[in-house]
Amino acid sequence: MDAATELKSFVGGSLTLASKLLLVAITLYDLAVKSFVGGVEMKRMDLVSGYKGVVGLVFGNENSTSSEDSYVERLLDRISNGVLADDRRSAMTELQAVVAESKAGQLAFGAMGFPVIMGVLKEERDDVEMVRGALETLVSALTPLDHVKGPKNEIQPALMNTDLLSRESESISLLLSLLSEDDFYVRYYTLQILTALLTNSPNRLQEAILTIPRGITRLMDMLMDREVIRNEALLLLTYLTREAEEIQKIVVFEGAFEKIFSIIIEEGGSEGGVVVQDCLELLNNLLRSNASNQILLRETMGFDSLISILKLRGSAYSFTQQKTINLLSVLETFNLLIMGGSEADPGRDANKLTNMTVLIQKKVLDHLLTLGVESQWAPVAVRCAALRCIGDLIASHPKNLDAISSKVLGEEPQVEPALNSILRIILRTSSVQEFIAADHIFKSFCEKNSDGQTMLASTLIPQPLSMNHAPLEEDVNMSFGSMLLRGLTLGESDGDLEACCRAASVLSHILKDNMHCKERVVRIELEAPMPSLGVAEPLLHRMVRYLALASSMKNKDGKSGTAGYVQLVILKLLVTWLADCPTAVHCFLDSRPHLTYLLELVSNTSVTVCTRGLAAVLLGECVLYNKSSDSGKDAFTVVDSLSQKIGLTSYFLKFDEMQKSFLFASVKPTQSHKPLTRSTAASMAEIEDVDENDLSDQKNEDHPILSSMLDAHFVSLIKRLEADIRENIVEVYSRPKSEVAVVPAELEQKSGEGDKEYIKRLKAFVEKQCSEIQKLIGRNATLAEDLAKTGGSGSIQAEHRTSGASERVQAETLRRDLQEASQRLEMLKAENTKIESESSMYQNLAAKMESDLKSLSDAYNTLEQANFHLEKEVKALKSGGSSVCPDVEAIKAEAREEAQKESEVELNDLLVCLGQEQSKVERLSARLLELGEDVDKLLEGVGDDMGLPEDDEEEED
Amino acid sequence: MSYAYLFKYIIIGDTGVGKSCLLLQFTDKRFQPVHDLTIGVEFGARMITIDNKPIKLQIWDTAGQESFRSITRSYYRGAAGALLVYDITRRETFNHLASWLEDARQHANANMTIMLIGNKCDLAHRRAVSTEEGEQFAKEHGLIFMEASAKTAQNVEEAFIKTAATIYKKIQDGVFDVSNESYGIKVGYGGIPGPSGGRDGASSQAGGCCS
Repeated sequence: MDAATELKSFVGGSLTLASKLLLVAITLYDLAVKSFVGGVEMKRMDLVSGYKGVVGLVFGNENSTSSEDSYVERLLDRISNGVLADDRRSAMTELQAVVAESKAGQLAFGAMGFPVIMGVLKEERDDVEMVRGALETLVSALTPLDHVKGPKNEIQPALMNTDLLSRESESISLLLSLLSEDDFYVRYYTLQILTALLTNSPNRLQEAILTIPRGITRLMDMLMDREVIRNEALLLLTYLTREAEEIQKIVVFEGAFEKIFSIIIEEGGSEGGVVVQDCLELLNNLLRSNASNQILLRETMGFDSLISILKLRGSAYSFTQQKTINLLSVLETFNLLIMGGSEADPGRDANKLTNMTVLIQKKVLDHLLTLGVESQWAPVAVRCAALRCIGDLIASHPKNLDAISSKVLGEEPQVEPALNSILRIILRTSSVQEFIAADHIFKSFCEKNSDGQTMLASTLIPQPLSMNHAPLEEDVNMSFGSMLLRGLTLGESDGDLEACCRAASVLSHILKDNMHCKERVVRIELEAPMPSLGVAEPLLHRMVRYLALASSMKNKDGKSGTAGYVQLVILKLLVTWLADCPTAVHCFLDSRPHLTYLLELVSNTSVTVCTRGLAAVLLGECVLYNKSSDSGKDAFTVVDSLSQKIGLTSYFLKFDEMQKSFLFASVKPTQSHKPLTRSTAASMAEIEDVDENDLSDQKNEDHPILSSMLDAHFVSLIKRLEADIRENIVEVYSRPKSEVAVVPAELEQKSGEGDKEYIKRLKAFVEKQCSEIQKLIGRNATLAEDLAKTGGSGSIQAEHRTSGASERVQAETLRRDLQEASQRLEMLKAENTKIESESSMYQNLAAKMESDLKSLSDAYNTLEQANFHLEKEVKALKSGGSSVCPDVEAIKAEAREEAQKESEVELNDLLVCLGQEQSKVERLSARLLELGEDVDKLLEGVGDDMGLPEDDEEEED
Repeated sequence: MSYAYLFKYIIIGDTGVGKSCLLLQFTDKRFQPVHDLTIGVEFGARMITIDNKPIKLQIWDTAGQESFRSITRSYYRGAAGALLVYDITRRETFNHLASWLEDARQHANANMTIMLIGNKCDLAHRRAVSTEEGEQFAKEHGLIFMEASAKTAQNVEEAFIKTAATIYKKIQDGVFDVSNESYGIKVGYGGIPGPSGGRDGASSQAGGCCS
């Protein structure tokens, strides 16, 4: 009886084993496919060898590839079937060791061990040592073994094991229940296991934990446990809350905020260690894109605890890497609050505004300014993050804009407006990153803030030259405008345009969309560098001069590093300035060489596509916003020289080229912020000063300044301008303004006019007309040339020469369209070939996958066969042992035969008996007859009532 | 931000009975005739006064749909009060009360105060559940009962405040161990603003010395 049950359970066990193995094989396949799809060329060998070892187990040992398999199997058997407690424990210890040591051990454990270990965890809670051992074994089975570096694409048994374990939500709830155990190690190992599971299968675990009643509560309780457990729980919760809104809310419901802040305070705030970093990472996970949790923090605890982390206490001058990361993390928290909820949340904007208001009320600006502006000892990364945070905090928030513009820094009497200090950073910092971050503040400050712009612009008053030559340090007493002007012209003496470029960026923010400021700044005139050598020069002209200077600088030293973006920044300033501003256009065209230079720049092939494009936009603005009627600087003249020097087609082409360029194409509406995690934190803290020299070696297009400068606003301005410019130029071109209005009255001799004067006047008139005709002929010739240059058959040319200007323009437009279309065609063709090659690649891929699948299904079939065999065996075993089986039939047949024989013999005997009885009866009847008895009557009674035996008895009687 | 006590509430009941509207009326004094279906759980907060003591209410409004039940159940245990809402114009929402109650009894702490609310009482002409039936159900199951309207704001304040008053009385009677936050009750910091320095141990002490 006992043996039979054992046998049954063994067979049952191996059946589940078979299904487990199948699961392993499938998991392996999953993983393989994952790495395959990920673009990594998967070595099929790994897949095959991976499950061969596993499959080998099913067939017994003849196919097994590792000795670990059988070793692990033996140990598991000892654990599940052992009788002596000590033996089972030592088996567990050995198992833990082999699993911790080798991948083969991990693989073998994954194939067979989980049911046994889970059984121990479920049934043997009282045996703390066993439970500990089981948990430690699980930890080892789930921990990747890195010390032995295998081939890159080799399957990680640890990953496979986490996948296997996390598939069953029952095991998750079992693990969670272990958190309530008294034993420290039990809780500790359990947390480690859960963290490992979360690292590899976050979604599955998040879902499982959500469905387990009080699951999250249990985890939260761990935060109040002893330190080691608490720290482990922090990490676990960080993984658990990543991008899982519902879990984030439950965690907060369970009082996460209070707990987090109390741990942060306990650990020393920003001065604390990695635990503080973990706390902040968890906090950020809870607040990221989660308006509900942000409201709860604001309404319940307030932001004070958060702000106090920013305060620099004690060792304000020393910044360890950990402190830097902690500060960066808390700055990210502010960022998340300023961003409000998720994009899809309808209440996002309201929440965002309230957060911004409350933060400013809580004086967070002071702390940010301390950190970003006044802490020279703080690492650049922290200063930059603080500056960016200031910018975000004030953007489009009227009260906060007021707050920053009225803020003063420093101590009496050496105080200055905060904005001046920030401008100084822009002009002087050696870090490009810091410049960009500080520039972001002015960008945000000027956005939809015309009062603020006007306030800044009102201080732009040129100082006497002597002031400009004052030492840099004396700018503390300067006004904002003076500092900015000095920055703009600083390059005058040494030809270094870096400061000028940065100041130009700030100025463009001040002028953006603000007519009043644009006109005001147009009127600013600067003293000539050497008063003896010339007259005062408008600021605008100075900027154009620096634009030209920047390109000549480049030509001189041959490198395009700074020159490229200096030109672009100045061009951006001019484009912003001239937009919608006829006064500025007038001022720009006041100097004849400006137009010439601009025309050259547009067709200059040695500058970048963007430089040419922006120059073209600027040129277009000279047409679009040109209200001048002076000959020589009116819109018509500009268009005319444009068509002569560049040609309309190639001019318009500059726009297209720019639009297609990398910089424009890559502009995103909002910069996505990468969350700070343990793995990324260190690198984020070390952005330090980006070396200028490194940057100059890079391609111009990658320069960080450019991506910050060509923001979404500016790009949309360019796009709007471009459309208007195209339309406007075509219009101007098609309706040539005649300089000589044909006034018939002029031909008449005026009364009181002498003949001589009349002739003179007529002559002048004719001369005027003559020159006009000359001009028109010249223009016509250029047009024809242009037409010829841009292609088109001779006949069309001839036809066009006679037709009107509007038609010519039309033809031009058509040709341009054609060109664009053919370009597009080329692009499509290229794309097509690409897609074709891709499709063939995918076909190959699919074929490979199929073959993989086939080998898998083969494996499955073999498994099934094995299963079938086993089942058959079971049947055999059930019927009483394999050897007996065939004999049964034989015995049965034998028995049947024997029985048959026996019954036949008996029958014969009976028949003989019967015969004897019959003869006896006959004899007796004869005798009775002799005696005179009625024999027939007598016999009748016998047959009916008693039958033969009675007869016999009678006879015996 | 200072409060004597903080109570955690949950609002439960069938989908569409007006849970979110009750919360919005209570926190923002607004009524939104068309409200999006609540996904998961939404949060709201308000300060009220009971017995001259400032009391902070943290309210979690749950999704009524069956598919969110496993999520919303996570909020039962840590809540001090629950508003169980049905719609007086939809009989089935009343009929489901028993199962909601069973859920609450199973997952919440035993001392949770439950307020039964028959919402939409402004729609008297479409009434499908009588006031008496509501009263009867509440009486049978030991709940507080009120009919309210999130639209007209009738009884909305009262419902939230009466629940708080009941919890407050339970605290005075010593039913709760207020140092254990798992009952959904937290002792505040009296008049001292800002919770930054507070730890749990210290806070229960500070609760007594209001300034």
